[in-house]
Amino acid sequence: MTRDKTSGREQPVSQNAPQSSASPLRLAPAAPDTPVDLGDLLLLVARGDEAAFAAVYDALGASVYGLARRVVRDPSRAEEISQEVFIQVWKSAARFDPARGNAKSWILTLAHRRAVDAVRHDQAATNRENKYDWSNGPDFDEVEEAVTISLEHEQVRRCLDGLTELQREAVNLAYYQGYTYAEVAESLGANTATVKTRMRDGIVRLRDCMGVEA
Amino acid sequence: MTTDLHSLLAPYALNALDSWERERFEIHLEQCADCRAELAGFVGTAARLGDAAHQAPPAELRDRLMAAVATTPQERPVVTALAQRGGLRRALPRLAVAAAFLVGAVGVGGYVTERNQADNYRADSQAITSVLAAPDADTAVKTFGKAGRVRMISSASKDSAVIVASDLPSLTHSRVYQVWLVKDDSPASQGTFSRSGTMIMKGLHGVDHVAITVEPKGGSKQPTTAPISTIAV
Repeated sequence: MTRDKTSGREQPVSQNAPQSSASPLRLAPAAPDTPVDLGDLLLLVARGDEAAFAAVYDALGASVYGLARRVVRDPSRAEEISQEVFIQVWKSAARFDPARGNAKSWILTLAHRRAVDAVRHDQAATNRENKYDWSNGPDFDEVEEAVTISLEHEQVRRCLDGLTELQREAVNLAYYQGYTYAEVAESLGANTATVKTRMRDGIVRLRDCMGVEA
Repeated sequence: MTTDLHSLLAPYALNALDSWERERFEIHLEQCADCRAELAGFVGTAARLGDAAHQAPPAELRDRLMAAVATTPQERPVVTALAQRGGLRRALPRLAVAAAFLVGAVGVGGYVTERNQADNYRADSQAITSVLAAPDADTAVKTFGKAGRVRMISSASKDSAVIVASDLPSLTHSRVYQVWLVKDDSPASQGTFSRSGTMIMKGLHGVDHVAITVEPKGGSKQPTTAPISTIAV
């Protein structure tokens, strides 16, 4: 995202710079091309650095909000979720473990889990009200929409296009709509073992297509 | 027929497990280094899917967040003493990791002991995984204080149960929690822990319940206090 900031791009001072817990760390301006290391920023956030938190938000706010919006659809609900996610990042930055993945993945995983929990919670409440029968599965149109979901990111779209139809539907319904694999199976009329396998094949193919390091 | 836990890795990365399966899988993850290694790539892939949906949030969100963090306390980094972590006598994932580091430090003399511990650890990990994956796995939960929980996942077919304790209230005066299998009113110690840990208990046949007592550090041969909790088997 773009946002005007008085000091331009910011990045934390290097690890071995003298640090005092009493004074907030200074953020030195960096060359425009220097990528900000989110993992380093999270280390600072864990120590209560609000400027580092702002930098994390500026780097990932659009990713978190967009993902939440994609899953829950409702803009104000998505905003609520984004707020919860970033407060969680602020509170528990100390729990981020670089050995288990990068910072962006960590935050997007938090965001996705919250969005999925929210959509399931809301769905359950709607079901109670409407006595909606899940066994019917979603409308056909809804499945179509999931399959033809338009994504801005060219590479991701191309990689999704490279999946078989069943792989793509399984990944889409689960990831972008918050279905459990059992619900995916039901709505696609496939058995759960098949759906789990399709998800696995799909994600492996996506990983390789996107060149994600294992 | 057993649930193949490994087949849940991709659904887990896509967040397509219900909450009970998610919890069960996360216990398995603690035991399975291969799963964690493969998961990293899957999670990274899922994050790319998430990132592709990016969309600018309303500008007020940033202001609200910055105002909120100014008054929101943070969790402190968890710096748990090794001794406290390693309270469980059996099946200590973290202690075993520490043991792996110790192999180098202790040198040849300590090697056999450490290797035996690692072997025990591996055997226990496999036993824990087999209970979690058992089709008849059943779960019971007891809560303690604000965040403390003890979960027991038991399987009659495996004749075993896994106890997972997390965030139990801190004990003072060098005391620990001790777990007992009670059969015909006679308790058999299963191990001790301080606040969190995972342990496997074998030989459930004929056992009436699991009891947890508070005991002096190192544990007692017989319970010296009334149980703070019992879980029916």
